[in-house]
Amino acid sequence: MSEIAGWADDFFWGAMVVIRIFAVSLVLSVIIGLIGSAMKLSGSRVTQAIVNAYTVIFRGTPELLVLLLIYFGAAISLTAIVQFFDPTVKFIEIPPFWAGAFAIALIVGAYMTETFRGAFLGVDPGHVEAARALGLSQFQTFVYVRIPQMWRLALPNFGNHMLSLMKDTALISVIGVEEIVFVAEMATTVTSKPFTMYIIVALIYLCITTVITLTVMALEKYANKHLASSR
Amino acid sequence: MTFDFSLIFSSIPKLLSGLGLTLELLILSSFIGLVLAVFTLLMRISGRWFLMAPAVAYIYIFRGTPILVQIFVIYYGLPQFEFIRTGVLWPILREPFWCCVIALSLNAGAYVSEILRGGVLGVDKGVLEAASALGISKSQRFIYITSPIAIRLSLPAYCNDTISMTKATALASTVTLLEMTGVARTIVAQTFSPYEIFISVAIIYMVMAWMLQKGFGLLEIRMSRYLKATAG
Repeated sequence: MSEIAGWADDFFWGAMVVIRIFAVSLVLSVIIGLIGSAMKLSGSRVTQAIVNAYTVIFRGTPELLVLLLIYFGAAISLTAIVQFFDPTVKFIEIPPFWAGAFAIALIVGAYMTETFRGAFLGVDPGHVEAARALGLSQFQTFVYVRIPQMWRLALPNFGNHMLSLMKDTALISVIGVEEIVFVAEMATTVTSKPFTMYIIVALIYLCITTVITLTVMALEKYANKHLASSR
Repeated sequence: MTFDFSLIFSSIPKLLSGLGLTLELLILSSFIGLVLAVFTLLMRISGRWFLMAPAVAYIYIFRGTPILVQIFVIYYGLPQFEFIRTGVLWPILREPFWCCVIALSLNAGAYVSEILRGGVLGVDKGVLEAASALGISKSQRFIYITSPIAIRLSLPAYCNDTISMTKATALASTVTLLEMTGVARTIVAQTFSPYEIFISVAIIYMVMAWMLQKGFGLLEIRMSRYLKATAG
């Protein structure tokens, strides 16, 4: 067990990187999901077609492939753009952290779009009409009437998407972000105890996903408070 | 930066050679996963704690950790132990292909058993009560009444899980397997044209997902015939 002690701080900072990526891509994917579902419900054929294409593409391709495409593709595109202005530049590297966070956000955002769309449809149209009758603007109706009722309906699926987002963060080691899988790889080359190291990674993920599951359960209880008391 | 179509055409045969391995991984691990899932489901709904506890623990562990980490634990991790390297299973555990099959099957087993459990719980209680009133035994009830209804109920979720499995086979490229993503990564490493190659592969995966969705859709329509008959 002494091998683990020397790597404890690396695993700790690796876990912090995982949590940072999780937080960044969760916020981004919620924003994408809200915009996407609003576009899908807008009634305009063009925006609907765009969002449909987006969800089909990002739900149908492997996460790893999206990650590699964005990481290497963005580097090439950005280099080409910069070389257009300054031909002396050889190559520009995208920070793998942001490429990874953005790729994961795009993937999970596609799932969030579908979940939010379903939840928005579940909001009683009468409430939206009442809001309009009271003179609330479209935006006010969205923020004060639709969202507070929608998130309760979206919560169970939202929890599942959070779990898959957390598990997708493990892929980012492939493009060289120093998160826990990466730490385990390094630790293995030094200690040659791969099983011990990867089991630690698995346990860290299990702890984080357990915390997420418990949080979602607590949130669901909170969101459905008014239903429980009326019974 | 240009989009090189000739490169796409020249690499399609190589990519399709990887498709075979992707399909092998998918079919083998879906099948083994389904068998595992049925056993886990039976343990989970048996009502006996010594059967339920291992099933719950198995599902909890495999649904709570990334598949990538599971593959790494099995492929890189297990050889740490002397008894694995000298044991009878070493010829299997030495191969990255079988390690991926094991990891994907175990993963599918955990997810699919939960899907099937949802189906079993969705079966109308009245139907089962009617069956027991007719004097049908418990095991016969499960085989002839619960199972067909539960299978139909869990089809949409099972379709989604199979699509996730298709996508998860891409992870095999991280343990040196040359399935479709692995082939694509080697071509990109040689030519450094990620857009052409990765987008072509993405399209192949999307076609696979689309075919699965259509196939399961047809199956669902066929299995729901009895519902239409009562409605009409």
